[in-house]
Amino acid sequence: MIYLNDIEVRFGDFTALKDINIHVKEGEFYTFLGPSGCGKTTTLRTITGFIEPAKGTVKVKGKDITHVPVEKRNIGMVFQNYALFPTMSVYENIAFGLKVKKVNKTDIDRRVKEMAGKVDLTEQQLMRKVAELSGGQQQRVAIARALVTNPEIICLDEPLSNLDAKLRVQLREELKEMQAKFGITTVYVTHDQEEALTLSDCIAVFNKGFIEQIGTPDEIYSASKTEFVCNFIGDINKLNANFTREIGAQTGKGVDAGKNAYVRLERIHVNSTRTDGRAVFKGKVAGSEYFGLYIKYQLDVNGQVLKCIDKNDGRQYLRKGEEVEVSIDPRDLMVY
Amino acid sequence: MVNAAPRRKPKWLTPWNVVMFIVFAWILLAWLIFPIANLLKTVFLSDGSFSLEPFQKLLKSKRAMKALGNSFILAPTLSVSVGIVGISLVLITEYFDIKGSAILRLGYMTTLIYGGVTLVSGYKFIYGSSGILTTALRGVFPDMNIKWFEGYWAVLFVMTFSCTSNHMIFLRNAMRSVDFQTVEAARNMGASQAYILFRVVLPVLLPSLFAVTILTFITGLCAMSAPLLVGGTGFQTINPMIKQFAETNNSKDLAAILSLVLGLASMLLLFIMTQVEKRGHYMSVSKVKTRIVKQKIHNPVVNVLVHLYAYILFVIYLLPVVLIVLFSFTDSKHIALRQLDFSAFSLDNYVALLKNSANYRPFLVSIVYSGLAALIVGLLVVVACRFIQKNRHSVGGNILEYGLMIPWLLPTTLIALSLMLAFNVQRWYMFNQVLTGTLLILLIGYIIIKMPFTMRMTKAAFFSLDDALEDASRNLGGGELYTFRRVIFPVLLPTIMAIAALNFNGLLTDYDMSAFLYHPLNPTLGVTIKKLTDDMGDPNGMAMTFVYAVLMMIISAVVLYLVYGRGGRDNMKE
Repeated sequence: MIYLNDIEVRFGDFTALKDINIHVKEGEFYTFLGPSGCGKTTTLRTITGFIEPAKGTVKVKGKDITHVPVEKRNIGMVFQNYALFPTMSVYENIAFGLKVKKVNKTDIDRRVKEMAGKVDLTEQQLMRKVAELSGGQQQRVAIARALVTNPEIICLDEPLSNLDAKLRVQLREELKEMQAKFGITTVYVTHDQEEALTLSDCIAVFNKGFIEQIGTPDEIYSASKTEFVCNFIGDINKLNANFTREIGAQTGKGVDAGKNAYVRLERIHVNSTRTDGRAVFKGKVAGSEYFGLYIKYQLDVNGQVLKCIDKNDGRQYLRKGEEVEVSIDPRDLMVY
Repeated sequence: MVNAAPRRKPKWLTPWNVVMFIVFAWILLAWLIFPIANLLKTVFLSDGSFSLEPFQKLLKSKRAMKALGNSFILAPTLSVSVGIVGISLVLITEYFDIKGSAILRLGYMTTLIYGGVTLVSGYKFIYGSSGILTTALRGVFPDMNIKWFEGYWAVLFVMTFSCTSNHMIFLRNAMRSVDFQTVEAARNMGASQAYILFRVVLPVLLPSLFAVTILTFITGLCAMSAPLLVGGTGFQTINPMIKQFAETNNSKDLAAILSLVLGLASMLLLFIMTQVEKRGHYMSVSKVKTRIVKQKIHNPVVNVLVHLYAYILFVIYLLPVVLIVLFSFTDSKHIALRQLDFSAFSLDNYVALLKNSANYRPFLVSIVYSGLAALIVGLLVVVACRFIQKNRHSVGGNILEYGLMIPWLLPTTLIALSLMLAFNVQRWYMFNQVLTGTLLILLIGYIIIKMPFTMRMTKAAFFSLDDALEDASRNLGGGELYTFRRVIFPVLLPTIMAIAALNFNGLLTDYDMSAFLYHPLNPTLGVTIKKLTDDMGDPNGMAMTFVYAVLMMIISAVVLYLVYGRGGRDNMKE
């Protein structure tokens, strides 16, 4: 569906993107993930046509659109702050693209109302000014406006970043439902790993203008290809050389102590009855953080601080200073 | 589309941009640069070769040197007196807990709706040789000097109370942005009220205070109405002198050189001001900023004295306004006697304005001039700002931006004189038309002097616009013109209207420009009021001045309400 081939974007002397190669399949929810300034929005704006690359091509369904103007690309976009036109009503905002395309009034009316219904906006809400809507409703208007012209692709640039945590989760779910309902190819930009993991079919992790890894959420999380991805996605323990060596010694599995080894928090087992194939250590609880759904512990294991989590199932949880048995499966280590 | 690829040719060189650039280049060159170049030529190349003779002439002219000296005495003393009064007004209305501060604030803000030549005429009506106060005092002290309110002190007094508008807008705004938590923190650490005021609050206001002081200094240097009306023969300053010299043929070079001196001084001061502006304002670093809470003055004696001072200032500000409104309803007999008799109140003066074309003509002339100028300058600057916005960092964009700001550096008198001298002969760049003495020249003058303010405000509005709106429109298929017409312009319209309204307001009672460029058969309101005020002995003329003043105040108040009041709070921040 979308092919970015060897894209390079420069702003003066600064190279913002280099060697970007991406293939987004039809109907896929594809996410560009990375920290601020990594090039994810630049890549999105290259697809939508706001930025023209210095090198490389952008193709949609085999057609080269690298030099096609923004307004001729038929790619819908939802902006970070939604960019709803403040002087227009909700109805006028949604109808804007249709008016530009000179669709007749009856059709505009039908399509606007139809689209409003699909995104759960009432007829009364259509007549309101956009400033009178809540954050969630505004997001729905922005999506309706982007979709009403039947674009082939929809691009969303961090549309949830300005919302509070609870609304963000709620709208994330709505967004996923809507994408499934419309079945439209979606390119999504976010710096929020949780958003990326929960929403996406495929994720491209960006860093300093390059792509570090492309894969499914599970591949990105469980089999991070680079140290950057491993650190950027989720919380993680970095193991010191002695500790890594001890894991190797106990399990007989060759672990190169000269390399950086990491293990995810949920792969640290505390007081587990099953320890076969794992390295086992004695340690003490150094501290804990209560998160409601789970508890995060800091353990001191022979000078190595390990973070781990335990689901909050109502049992009495571990106290500071309490002695524990920690076990780690060497297959869970990510080594770089 | 942002072109991230290496550029081969300047992107702004499109046919439409080139045409627009030529139009603006003509406006700037023909209306500003060439006339000023002509003025310089008049001074330095009057007989075809370079000569400093006009300087020698200036040095020999006692009147001109006296006027220069007077201006340089008035400007610094005015800066101090306005500074003291202006800071007092801000502290009274925004910092200290003064009873009736809302009413006081209204009184102090009267200068916003009532300024220039109208305001000076109001003060002259009270304190002048035949003014109400002077007439009343003569009843008690028959031998008193009736010209007591004339000369330097009279000019200083009038200007002190007419130049606090900037303090009431900008300094008050700065005071309102003081983070009250800093005051609480200081108090928490044991600081006294005075210590907090001088070490915590006032330092935050310093950059704004410095800027308004420079503006006051320039106002002092460029004083026109006050020295003309209450300066008497003993205290004339540069601008009235330029006007006098410009009216006689063999002194035009003196007028030109005086205006150049004024221009250089203004430029220097504005340069200093921009340097200060660059240092920036003190930004609050609070995560949650709290509004200032008014401070009770704990010492009862100081509290009474401050209240007394606040109300004396209130009376000084409000007295001319109240008397002008009241006397505008009374007949010429009572105006001549300076007596108020409510039984003589009528709307006759207002009816006389409507019935007599000689009376309403100046009013109409000023409304038409101000309206046209506000509209034209608004449209020109919107187009220019769009060009600048689309071509930021380009040579064309920069030239246009700085070009339109040039009049900011030049005193009104300098621009007026340069237009007058340049357009009194045929000029190829004005299609061989002689404009001096025509209706058009004043309109051009008005447009030029309003360009920088309009530019600053409109550009700020353009640049505060969320770029995503334009991107969204383009993404939905909107072309450049469509996007501008349907998305950008409607968003900016309230601000553009507000700027036009402020320009209209500012030009309505203009005297400085129109004194040089007005059409003899169509004098503006400012010129008419000045003429009527010169002769305080004509009660009918004075009645008309009062009616003009009242109508001006109403128009200004409505405009300000629409811009800053309930209707326009979102359009224009102070």
